[in-house]
Amino acid sequence: MFPRPIQQYSPAARIGYQALLPFALLVWLIPLLAVMWFSVKSGDDFTQGNYWGWPEGGLEGVTNYWMVFAESDMPRYLWNSVVITVPTMIGAVALSCMTGFALGVYRFKGNLLIFFMFVAGNFVPFQILMVPVRDLTDQMGLYDTRMGLILFHIAFQTGFCTLFMRNFIRALPRELIEAARVEGVSEYRIFWYVVLPLMRPAIAALCVLIFTFIWNDFFWAVVLTQSPESQPVTAGITAFNAQFRAMYHLMSAGSIVAAIPPVAMFFLMQKHFIAGLTLGAVK
Amino acid sequence: MRSIFKTSAAALAAATMLSGAAYADGHGVSGPLRIFSDMSNPAPRAVMEGMVERFTEANPGVEVELVITDREAWKTQIRNVLQSGTADIVNWYAGNRMAPYVEAGLFMDISDLWEEGGLTETLASTQGSMTMDDGIWGVPYTYYQWGVYYREDIFAELGLEAPTTWEEELSNCQAIVDSGRSCYTIGTQFLWTAGGWFDYLNMRTNGYDFHMELTAGEVPWTDDRVRATFENWQTLIDMGAFIDDHQSYSWQEALPFMVNGEATAYLMGNFAVAPLREAGLSDDQLGFYQFPQIDASIEPGEDAPTDTFHIAANAENVEAAEAFLLFVASAENQTLINNGDNLGQLPVNSQAGVDDDEFLNAGFDMLSNNAGGGIAQFFDRDAPAEMAQVAMQGFQQFMVDPSTLDQVLQILEGARQRIY
Repeated sequence: MFPRPIQQYSPAARIGYQALLPFALLVWLIPLLAVMWFSVKSGDDFTQGNYWGWPEGGLEGVTNYWMVFAESDMPRYLWNSVVITVPTMIGAVALSCMTGFALGVYRFKGNLLIFFMFVAGNFVPFQILMVPVRDLTDQMGLYDTRMGLILFHIAFQTGFCTLFMRNFIRALPRELIEAARVEGVSEYRIFWYVVLPLMRPAIAALCVLIFTFIWNDFFWAVVLTQSPESQPVTAGITAFNAQFRAMYHLMSAGSIVAAIPPVAMFFLMQKHFIAGLTLGAVK
Repeated sequence: MRSIFKTSAAALAAATMLSGAAYADGHGVSGPLRIFSDMSNPAPRAVMEGMVERFTEANPGVEVELVITDREAWKTQIRNVLQSGTADIVNWYAGNRMAPYVEAGLFMDISDLWEEGGLTETLASTQGSMTMDDGIWGVPYTYYQWGVYYREDIFAELGLEAPTTWEEELSNCQAIVDSGRSCYTIGTQFLWTAGGWFDYLNMRTNGYDFHMELTAGEVPWTDDRVRATFENWQTLIDMGAFIDDHQSYSWQEALPFMVNGEATAYLMGNFAVAPLREAGLSDDQLGFYQFPQIDASIEPGEDAPTDTFHIAANAENVEAAEAFLLFVASAENQTLINNGDNLGQLPVNSQAGVDDDEFLNAGFDMLSNNAGGGIAQFFDRDAPAEMAQVAMQGFQQFMVDPSTLDQVLQILEGARQRIY
C-alpha cells in the first residue's frame, strides 16, 4: 500500500535520498524559479541573450510589477477572476450540499442512476463540449460575459462536488439523522441543523479545491470570454504579449501576481486542501 | 511633428482636405459602432484608442464600443465574432488570409466605398491585395517592409559592402563564415521565419508571379523551378550561413546572436529594429539592405504584410462603419498613426508622410521604387493557413537537414492536392 518509510531503509539509501532530494527539488522548481527571476529583469536582457545572468541595467522588479499593476489591465483581470471564482465556489458547493444530502440520505428508485449521471459528467472530456457550450452561451446572450462563465463552471463542477458530498454524507452515522426523525424534526431542519454542521470539514475542503480549479482555469476562459471586461487573469495574461514580441518580463511578473491567490489559499488552508484530496478515499 | 513629407505640402494639404471632406461630410453618422480590434500591444492599442477618440470627436453622434483582443487569440476568435454578429468592424489581414471570411460571406464588399471615397487612387498600391472575387473587402491601415538587417560595423571590419547580387551575397557570406561568425541568425521554432526565407528566395529565383501561383496552389511543389529555389537555399545552408540549432529559438530568441555579433544579419520585418536598438545597437552599427537579386532579369518582389479593417457582413451600423474606414485610410490619419511615436511602420496612403527614420525611409523607398515585381503579404498569408502550416514545417525540416528535400517536396505536393 504505502511506500515503506524512509527511516526503515539502509543508511546508504537514506544518505543518497537526502543528497538527491534537494537536487530533484531544484530541478522541479526551475521553471518557477525562472519565472520569478525573469519577472525582475528588464526586456533588454532577453534581446541580449542574458537570460540567467545578473541584469546589466540592474534589477527592474519594481518597474515590471508597477507596469503590471498600474499600466495594464491586470487589476481588472484579477477582479474578474474573483468575480468568477467566488460565486462559482459558493454556487457549486451549495448545490452539491443539497444533491449530496438527497442522494446520500434518501433511498428512492433511480437514486443510483442519478448519482451515476452526476459522476458520468466528470468523465466527459471538456474539449468535446467546447463547441456546443460556446453556441449555447452565445444563443443565451451570455457569450463573453462573466455570468456565462460562472453558470457553466457551476454546472460542470457540481458533478464532482456531488460525488464528493454524497460519499461524505454516506459516511456520517445514520443514527444521528434517525434520532432526529424520531424526535419529529422536519427534513429541512435535519439538513440545516444536523447534517450541514457535520459537513463543515467537507465544505471547507471543497471550497478550497474549487477555488483553485476555477481560478486556474484557462480553457473555458479562452473559449467563453474574449474581452478585458470579462476575461479572468489566466486568459488575460497574454495581453502583455506585443504584436510581434513576447514581453517575457511582464508576463512573468503577471504570472506571479496571478498565482498568488491560489498559492496563498493553499498555504492558509493546507489542512483542508489535503483533507479534500483524501476525504472519502479512506473510510 | 518631426516628420518629413515625401509629397509637397500643397498636395498633402489638398489630399487631407479631400479625404477629410469625405468622412467629415459623412452625412452626420450616428449610433453605436462596435469595433473589435487585435491591436493589443501597448503601442498599437494606444493608436487604436487614439483613432477612436479622434473619430468620435469628428463624429460626436457615434458611440464607439471598442473591444481589443490579444492578437494571437484573435486569429481563433474572429470567426466567432463575425458569426455571432457582435461586431460592425474587425481587424484582419490583406491577401489570401481574407479568403475564408470572404467566401463565407462574413465580410462586406466595400467596392463602392473605394470608388466614392477616392481610395482607388490613394491606396492604389494595396488595392490588389484587398481585392478578391471582384470585390474589395476592407481598407488597410499599415504595412511594413521585410529585408536584411545587418551589422554595419562588422561588415566594415571585414571590408564588406551590402550585397546586391547573389555572387556578392555568397562571397560576403563566405568571408563572414571564415571570420568565425554566422551570416544569418534565424529562429525557426515557430516556423514563419523560414517562410520569409522561402518567400525571398523564390521571388528572386522565379519571380513574384510564380510565387503567387505557387502559394495559390496552381503549381506543383515538385516543379523544377521550386527545386531551383531550394538549391539556392541549400548553397547557403551548406556554407554554414545560418546559426546552429535555429529550430529551438523563437525569432526573439535569435536576436541575441545578432546583438552579440555571433551572426551578422537577420532577414526580418521592420519590427526587429526596436528590440535591436533597445538592446544597445546604434544606427551606426545597424544597417538595412534589400534582399539581393539572384536572377538579374527578374523584377524584385517584396514582402510587406498589410493590416486591415473590415466591415462585418451583418454589421448593424454600416454608415458609421464606412465613415470610420474612410477616416482610417485618410492621409492625415495614416501619417499620424504610422509615425515613430506610434506604430513606427509605413503608411499605405500614397499621400501620407513618412517619419525621418533610417529604416522606415529605406523601406518606403524600397517599396515605392524598387518592388517592381509586386508586394506579397508573407508566406503564411499568401498561402491558405493549412498549406502554410505544412509547408513551413517542410521548410524548417529542410533547413535542419537539406538531404530530406525530396521527401519534403512530396509532402508539400500531397498537401497541395488535398487542400486546394
